[in-house]
Amino acid sequence: MIPEIGQLSLIFAFALSCLLALVPMYGSYSGNVRALLLAKPLAIGLFLFSATAMACLMYAFYHSDFTVINVASNSSSVLPWYFQLTASFGSHEGSMLLWVTILALWTALVALFSNSLPLLMQGRILGVMGFICVGFIAFSLFMSNPFERSLPFFPVEGRDLNPLLQDFGMIVHPPLLYVGYVGFAVSFAFAIAALIGGKFDSTWARWARPWTLAAWLFLTLGIMLGSWWAYNELGWGGWWFWDPVENASFMPWLVGTALLHSLAVTEKRGTFKSWTVLLAIAAFSLSLMGAFLVRSGVLVSVHSFASDPSRGLYLLAFLLLVVGGSLFLYALRMNAVRSQARYQLFSREVLLWGNNVFLLTATLVVFLGTLYPLFHKELGLGSISIGEPFFNQLFYYLVIPFSLLLGLGPWVRWKQQQLPPLLKPLTLVALLALTMAIGYLAATQSLAANLALLGCLLGAWVGMSAIGEVYQRAQQLGGFSTGIGRLQASHWGMTLAHIGFAVLVIGVAMTKTLSVEKDVRMKIGDTVELNGYHFTLTDVYALKGPNYGGQAAELEVYSDGKKVTHLHAEKRFYPLQKTVMTEAAVHARLSRDLYVALGEELSGPSWAMRVYVKPFVRWIWLGGVLMALGALLALLDKRYRRASAHAEVKTRENTAAYTGAEHA
Amino acid sequence: MRKLMFFIPFVLFIALSAFLFSGLFSDPRQHGSALLSKPLPAFSLPDLMEPQRMLSADHLKGKVYLLNVWGLWCPTCNAELGFLTELRQQGIEIVGLYYVQPQDSAFGETFDLAALQQDVAKKLAEQGNPYQLNILDEKRSLIFDLGVTGAPETFLIDAQGQIRAHHVGDINPQNWPALAAQYQAVVQEAQATGAGGQQSEGATNAP
Repeated sequence: MIPEIGQLSLIFAFALSCLLALVPMYGSYSGNVRALLLAKPLAIGLFLFSATAMACLMYAFYHSDFTVINVASNSSSVLPWYFQLTASFGSHEGSMLLWVTILALWTALVALFSNSLPLLMQGRILGVMGFICVGFIAFSLFMSNPFERSLPFFPVEGRDLNPLLQDFGMIVHPPLLYVGYVGFAVSFAFAIAALIGGKFDSTWARWARPWTLAAWLFLTLGIMLGSWWAYNELGWGGWWFWDPVENASFMPWLVGTALLHSLAVTEKRGTFKSWTVLLAIAAFSLSLMGAFLVRSGVLVSVHSFASDPSRGLYLLAFLLLVVGGSLFLYALRMNAVRSQARYQLFSREVLLWGNNVFLLTATLVVFLGTLYPLFHKELGLGSISIGEPFFNQLFYYLVIPFSLLLGLGPWVRWKQQQLPPLLKPLTLVALLALTMAIGYLAATQSLAANLALLGCLLGAWVGMSAIGEVYQRAQQLGGFSTGIGRLQASHWGMTLAHIGFAVLVIGVAMTKTLSVEKDVRMKIGDTVELNGYHFTLTDVYALKGPNYGGQAAELEVYSDGKKVTHLHAEKRFYPLQKTVMTEAAVHARLSRDLYVALGEELSGPSWAMRVYVKPFVRWIWLGGVLMALGALLALLDKRYRRASAHAEVKTRENTAAYTGAEHA
Repeated sequence: MRKLMFFIPFVLFIALSAFLFSGLFSDPRQHGSALLSKPLPAFSLPDLMEPQRMLSADHLKGKVYLLNVWGLWCPTCNAELGFLTELRQQGIEIVGLYYVQPQDSAFGETFDLAALQQDVAKKLAEQGNPYQLNILDEKRSLIFDLGVTGAPETFLIDAQGQIRAHHVGDINPQNWPALAAQYQAVVQEAQATGAGGQQSEGATNAP
């Protein structure tokens, strides 16, 4: 019964999305205000029905309704309840419904918080969102129905959730990632609405900025969580694998970052217009392409969903329609646009242009690295694979100039900047960075590691420069103590995000160069020494979980005769899925992680163990969290709220003005 | 000129779509090509049902057959059994290569041949038995040499014992015609050289 309600809700949502795609668009062309006003209730209804469908699916999972094929293949009655709930988006079908629900949520949010927008613009934006919803709801409904039943014959027990996904990180990772992915649909809708209207004043950029920030915020958190999950669950101590699915989330992130910066230029200076529109289209297109790559089986990856050419074909057709259509519209409309602003060679505009160049080069590297095997094969040159060294090397070359520019960027004014006034503070910052980086590494006797030194230098340069710039700006605003309070939230956001980047760079460089590991065979009572830490295996015993068995190892860690910590590593065996999983033991400190993974039992009895000391690995995720916090602060900036304060009045005023102006 | 510049993203995207489209229809898992036209790796493995009988590549020489890698633990293989049985009824020769999953001694699992034989016999009685015989590859040595990435996978072996095709995934009525054509070609080739004289003709009925 409940799954049928879910199915029915999804059908209603489909009908509403069709109306949302058509009615406001019709209104925008005919000047019919009532058709435009319908956009908001339609969007909210669409969300309510999608959410009901998702809730019904979760209900079916919670109650282990194995007559639903999706439940039977991805859950089991012995699974803990919270994993039963998250199993509802662990499969291709379920994750597609989650995608739809989140898309509908964004649509409804745009409807609710866009009162300050002219009605015409609002209708077009929601119309574009509606059109995207039609595509995905139809896909969910017709190509991968999550509510399909297997009646009259159904299994008495499910096949269980993939043990890799039975982890806290996996509970939150997909929703966050999808919120980010799908959020770029809003920036995309704003860009398309602007293209349709043919108006490219800086207003559309101001409207699109908070939405892009929000999407970017969630995408950042989602990617960071995915990395953290891989670190804890895969047992190799790795935090990024350049796997096609990871790359599929990284590309929209890179373009989204470029878009955030380019939007700033368009909003403040009214230039880079066509470029910003193209980035908005590209960010969402890459999200769509990510969905296609992951679900079509074109690329083989450890976490791709089961492939089916008809699904791939559908997604490709949708991709062609949405991306091809919008790029065509872009080509038709953009050649009429001229940027009026003028700026000098040394100005913030040019530095942000540099930011975009590097971010897009990085995107291109990831794109080619991910798709090159496909091109190679389709051109009849045979199968090849591109691995970590390719990406690592190219990113190494990209991050150096990028960081140098990033340290400089915030100091430089719009339009034109004279060099002399910056020389003193920047020299100070550079000296400070040099002292800190060399000082720390010398103190820990790791100065010889060139890459670590380089990473610390770049990180310290970016971080110090961000702090220095805040200090200088505060002084300009009437002395440090009063000025610091006058800084805008978005300024703090930028500073925090840049510091986050610095922290990330330091983390990556230190972890990459200074991590040590040992693969050892240990008996109970054995001690292994690594980087001054003594790991003693005190006990190994059998483990009994709700839906798994396995072994657990207990270790004591000593350093200089003092106890550091107690570690508990597990190796789980999930009988229903016949899979072995590693639950690594991690003792985390800001300056280093101690990481132990329990391996096979060997004769003796003894056990294979992997022991790591990974300096600064926390900084990688800390950097990500700081970036996300930066986005949050920027989002809280007063400007965006002021815009919606005069909401109602403006809408009424604008309705007549805009519809009248364009159709007169 | 400036007008045309704005079409660049569109054109690039269309070119990309063409690649993605063709990628959709080529099997991304087609890694086995390295083995094509190479002889079946040498092996000496027991018959699953009569373990005292050792089988080798020479035993199977002289006829055209499909070598089907499968296991009871693999749901797709079980789904494939019915269609493979139909093929056997049409005269296609199919030899099974039984894929024993790695045992985890840490969890007290040991390999129990008698139980496996019983389970296999029961399964084949229920679903149909497409196999002339089954090779038991307990240590997965032949499976390793063949470069098998998972089950089911099927190899087409010609009368000289050479691998002629490698199919990853299940065989079903949709994808069988392509493989059937290759099978036919290899059978005719064998008949032309006289090596496959005893080959049955039934394969011509293939859909």
